[in-house]
Amino acid sequence: MKYLPEKNNKNLYGYPNWRYKAFFVLIFGFLSILIVGFIGLNFGTISIQPEKILSIFWHHETDNSLGLIIWELRIPRLIMAMLTGMTLAGVGGAFQGILRNPLADPYILGVSAGAALGACTGIALQYTTGLYLMNFLPVFALVGSFVSILMVYLLSRKKSHLPMTDLLLAGVAVNFFFSALITLLLAVSNREIHSMIFWLMGDLSNANWQKISLVTLPVFMGSFLLIFSSLELNAMALGEEEALHLGIQTEKLRLKIFLIGSIMIAVVVSFTGLIGFVGLVIPHIARLLVGPDHRIMLPVSALIGAAFLIICDTIARTILAPTEIPIGAITAIIGAPLFIHLLKRRNDNNEY
Amino acid sequence: MNIKEPIVSLNKVNFSYGQQSVLQDIDLSVFPGDFIGIIGPNGSGKTTLLKLISGILRPQSGNIQLFNQDISMISRKKLAKIISVVPQDSFVTYNYKVKEIVFMGRIPYINQWQGETISDYRISRNAMKKTDSFCHAEKGIHQISGGEMQRVYIARALAQSPKILMLDEFASHLDLNYKYEMIRILKDTLREEVNCIISVFHDLNLASFCANRLILLDKGKIEISGTPQQVINNENIKKVYRSKAHIIQHPELAIPQVIM
Repeated sequence: MKYLPEKNNKNLYGYPNWRYKAFFVLIFGFLSILIVGFIGLNFGTISIQPEKILSIFWHHETDNSLGLIIWELRIPRLIMAMLTGMTLAGVGGAFQGILRNPLADPYILGVSAGAALGACTGIALQYTTGLYLMNFLPVFALVGSFVSILMVYLLSRKKSHLPMTDLLLAGVAVNFFFSALITLLLAVSNREIHSMIFWLMGDLSNANWQKISLVTLPVFMGSFLLIFSSLELNAMALGEEEALHLGIQTEKLRLKIFLIGSIMIAVVVSFTGLIGFVGLVIPHIARLLVGPDHRIMLPVSALIGAAFLIICDTIARTILAPTEIPIGAITAIIGAPLFIHLLKRRNDNNEY
Repeated sequence: MNIKEPIVSLNKVNFSYGQQSVLQDIDLSVFPGDFIGIIGPNGSGKTTLLKLISGILRPQSGNIQLFNQDISMISRKKLAKIISVVPQDSFVTYNYKVKEIVFMGRIPYINQWQGETISDYRISRNAMKKTDSFCHAEKGIHQISGGEMQRVYIARALAQSPKILMLDEFASHLDLNYKYEMIRILKDTLREEVNCIISVFHDLNLASFCANRLILLDKGKIEISGTPQQVINNENIKKVYRSKAHIIQHPELAIPQVIM
């Protein structure tokens, strides 16, 4: 109804119908995730033939070992990789928008360091007290990250304002402080150092259905709220005052994005550890592909993040099987050259 | 509507950053059709005055009224439909296309649930046509020159369908041809679209050329306000800028011009 009266639907006074674009891009993204995920399921310590996987799906086999591997190990891990990639890349894009800083990533406002300190404390406690705390590490990490969110908020708040520079500086300061504490913990620990380092570099091997059920709701609700703010995030690109002149309450917007993004990251990171690089670079790749309009860029970024992390996780668990490589190392090893290639192409074409 | 009803009126407005007083006892009325030029030396409070009228800053005392309504009672979103501001220079973080930048002017009108309508696109396109920036619509904002960018910002401001257009030193670093072009665009706009234009000027000659009323600020106070003829004379310039200047008459128009 809105688009019908004049001209055709595809060309609206020189503006493309972004809804069509978004629709096709999203369909394409979902399909690629499905394909990538299906390929990922084949590989592992034992490779399982695609026909076998299909038959396991079809008959919902859970009574044999292959069925169990697929349903209880690989699929949960796949979904966890997907949710994590989505969150990191989506929140990274939103933070880059709200902070007007292309170098921002989801960890820049301190959440990750808090989560890491929490988790490392949990690991250290397990070894010193002898209690079995491995299953409670996410709780430790979650508490740690909420402490850091609160610290960043209180440090950067000025009356009712949350100035951008102060927010960024508080985030960086909290990051450094907590990182220093983690280093201290690492320095005094011996046997547990391996678990800590693995956690710090990200680890999806503990994924199970229960964790997925805990992560899913916050991730999808948060993503919805972020995408819902995308028009306002676009306006932020013009500058703080320009956004105010466009009727946007920038202080409220910043607080909203900071809290939603940080909580999403806190929840995900508590289960997966710190997977770097995705949240910094995937939004840039999304911008290179579909332009900076957050209405399309944010969902695309989330989808690419999801697919990218599925690929990286598949590589992480197969390349040196049965030994696992921390996924954080893989994301950077694959991602950095890919990103540099795209950046180079952009400079040659003088685009983006 | 009574033609004598002011659009913008400031009564005894005071503003200070912390202890430092920036503006004192500012009284100002802007009427329909006015092109107001705010001039004065650096640090005299020109930009602060602009920010007070556009609602970015709130005065410590005194009141500011837009269309007989106190500015503090108007919501940000509603304010955005009344006033639009062309910034002096602003850096756009990511390389949006020109048409996307102009379309952002429609944001105050877009209902978050329903999204934009076709008229939002039409208004954006028309704003680009009026400012001769339509030919750049598909280019990235980082790919065009400073003069072209100024026109894009004006297009964005016009897409906001404002009643009051405000500009901050709009043409100070532009070449002569761009200056004429901008003045033409603004005069057209004032005739056809907006009720009044308020602009800060760095360049006295440009101010005298564009505006029908000048406000000369000095140390946070209005030294004098009136037509360019009344404001720009040897006495005032000497007093406010503390330097000598020669004032001559424009050979074709009845306006004063300052030369060194």
